[in-house]
Amino acid sequence: MKLHVRSVTVVALLAATALAPKPAAAQAAGPSTPAELVATYKSLADGILSLKRTEEDLCRSILAAAHAHGRVELGRAQAAIKGGDAKAAQNAVENLAASVGQIATEGDNAVAAVRKKLLDGGHHHNAAGEAQGVFDEGFVIVTKAAKAKLLASSRAIGQMASAPKADALDAEWKKVDALFAELTKPAK
Amino acid sequence: MSARFRVLAALLGLALVVVSLRRERADAAEEARFRLVDVAAKVGITRVLLAGRPDKDHLLDSSGGGAAFLDYDKDGRLDVYLVNGWRLEGSRVVEKGKNALYRGKPDGTFEDVTDAAGVSGEGQWAQGTAVADYDNDGWPDILVTSFGRNVLYRNLGNGRFQDVAKEVGIESPGWNTGAAFFDADADGWLDVYIASYIDVTIEQVLAARPSLSWRGLETVAFGPFGLKGAPDHFFRNERGKRFVDATAAAGMEDQATGFGFGVRAADLTGDGRVDVYVANDSDPNYLYRNEGGGVFKEVATWSGAALDENGAAQASMGLALGDVDGDGIPDLFTTNFSEDFSTLYHGLGGGAYEDVSKASGVGAATFKPLSWGTAFADLDNDGALDLLVANGHIYPQIDRHPELIGTYAQKVLLLENKSRPGQPLFRDASAEAGPGLEPARAHRGLVIGDYDDDGRLDVLLTALDAAPVLLHNEGRAGSWLTVACEGAHGEPNPIGAVVTIRSGGRTQSQDIASGDSFLGSHDPRPHFGLGAAEKVDEVDVRWPDGTHSRRRDVPARQILKIRYGS
Repeated sequence: MKLHVRSVTVVALLAATALAPKPAAAQAAGPSTPAELVATYKSLADGILSLKRTEEDLCRSILAAAHAHGRVELGRAQAAIKGGDAKAAQNAVENLAASVGQIATEGDNAVAAVRKKLLDGGHHHNAAGEAQGVFDEGFVIVTKAAKAKLLASSRAIGQMASAPKADALDAEWKKVDALFAELTKPAK
Repeated sequence: MSARFRVLAALLGLALVVVSLRRERADAAEEARFRLVDVAAKVGITRVLLAGRPDKDHLLDSSGGGAAFLDYDKDGRLDVYLVNGWRLEGSRVVEKGKNALYRGKPDGTFEDVTDAAGVSGEGQWAQGTAVADYDNDGWPDILVTSFGRNVLYRNLGNGRFQDVAKEVGIESPGWNTGAAFFDADADGWLDVYIASYIDVTIEQVLAARPSLSWRGLETVAFGPFGLKGAPDHFFRNERGKRFVDATAAAGMEDQATGFGFGVRAADLTGDGRVDVYVANDSDPNYLYRNEGGGVFKEVATWSGAALDENGAAQASMGLALGDVDGDGIPDLFTTNFSEDFSTLYHGLGGGAYEDVSKASGVGAATFKPLSWGTAFADLDNDGALDLLVANGHIYPQIDRHPELIGTYAQKVLLLENKSRPGQPLFRDASAEAGPGLEPARAHRGLVIGDYDDDGRLDVLLTALDAAPVLLHNEGRAGSWLTVACEGAHGEPNPIGAVVTIRSGGRTQSQDIASGDSFLGSHDPRPHFGLGAAEKVDEVDVRWPDGTHSRRRDVPARQILKIRYGS
């Protein structure tokens, strides 16, 4: 609230400055939005767009963290399979499945709560993409199509937990890896 | 042939046709596989259930409530418990509805014993109910989840109850919805999970007016998007003396603060431990897997039971659990908002689920209505679980726009099970299920129970601003067996017991649960349809402590009583 009051005050001061009497030549050009307000709005726009880019970067980081965690769990699972430790293998495979699920849903339930908060506030990162059916509401990076594939992989990995096979895990992870690479490749 | 004779012959012919048609119709009715008839008023179940304002200005006005079949006096006959809401006019509370306890009488009618039993709901705006013997004294107690505070009616064993919610620490102020009792840590005491919906005060509810533009045509109640979800709670039972909020310690923190409704506790992963499934409105559903020692892990996303086949969260309200395709693995069903299918999650084993709504025929049948209470129930006793779905919209305003899909009042759906092992399949049999499914209402709760012990499962429904509906099953049903268990403390149908039968080359299994469907509880006695079989080869009861009782070569068409330790 304080921030809001301060912002309004700044804008009001700028407006007062802009609306102060101008030389006759300037007045002859007719009414226009004061240049100072345009400049301020432009700065604000840079800030808003920068925030949106930051949101995108943050979501990429969330995906990267889940992917990195998945890679570690895959390694643990493979080591446990090799070592004949069924319990450890099951645990690692389930964690791997959970990580892939979190890539699919751009984070866990706690992130979902943040996404819900943004949506409730009217913020849709990919509003146009949502309208076209490409993105689920509030999703930033993961498309609907990719999400469905990742969820299928997540479930498939989870189903392997009780009797995991190293090559089957590898094959499923490769699918995840490819999708992850495609989703997170730098924007042109 | 004279003209008079021709007229007489024609009249006689007409009469014969009419008589023949009537007989055919009567025969058809007599032989109908499904025939459900509303007998609620006839048997004395008449309490009108209140639901806020006529225009349903707030979601609380339209959430409705559940119901339960129970045997509170242990006389062997089913009783009925109904929860009630409030009636509002604008911001004014006009009437606080009373809950109702109806005692089943030997002649198949019911007697209102609410006041004598002292279970009217303590003036709360009630939402749901779950029945269980939480203090192991052998008598079923009644939990009433409410907007306001919860009420826990301890059964005193003399026909009366006492509200002990405050004393045992389970009041949990807020908008409490679905609840399920279960023994989370296998210590012999029933713990309870209670879902919550929206974080809102009664003042906000009373001040609410429709403010959400519905397709640009009408202004309707706002939410749940844009409103803050309220966190669910898990209460650990400390030897029947107190319930302690152990949500975080148990790993059941509602991180997404989902809009929680239906809750079901059951072994969903096949490891012998009781897990918890939560139906969330507009958010992913939860599956809390029991890791042992009273600790849980939320695994719904990768288990396949959180989202639909497209990866989308649905607006889930109620749920049902049962092995629909006879493969020995429980399947899950969630009811959802209109213009979105309700979802059948086929159990694949080991806690993995797959959305088979479209392939099973459930998707198409459930796409239009807004669905709530539900149950898998073998109504025709053919050995396959049919599916019942209670429907009704939340916006009365949609009736002004016939171009929209659906109306405010909607019919109950009955889907007949035509599955094969591994291939769930249903067909819509609603139109041939008798007069009971004809009326459209704003249905909410749906619970199943054989109230007259005739071996055919009946259906109890609640609806907004209306008296309940009791659908008496008069269909042409096959053979059957109902199992009435008595637990270690003398309690009827101990929560967590599992009954398995083998008959006619098939194996069927059902657990005894408290908390199911939409904010309600079914008849706790496992009921099995046997088709043409007149004998059950084996009945096995696995008691909550892991011990078993077995009976062999059991004649069908009876209520088999099995006592713990026998």
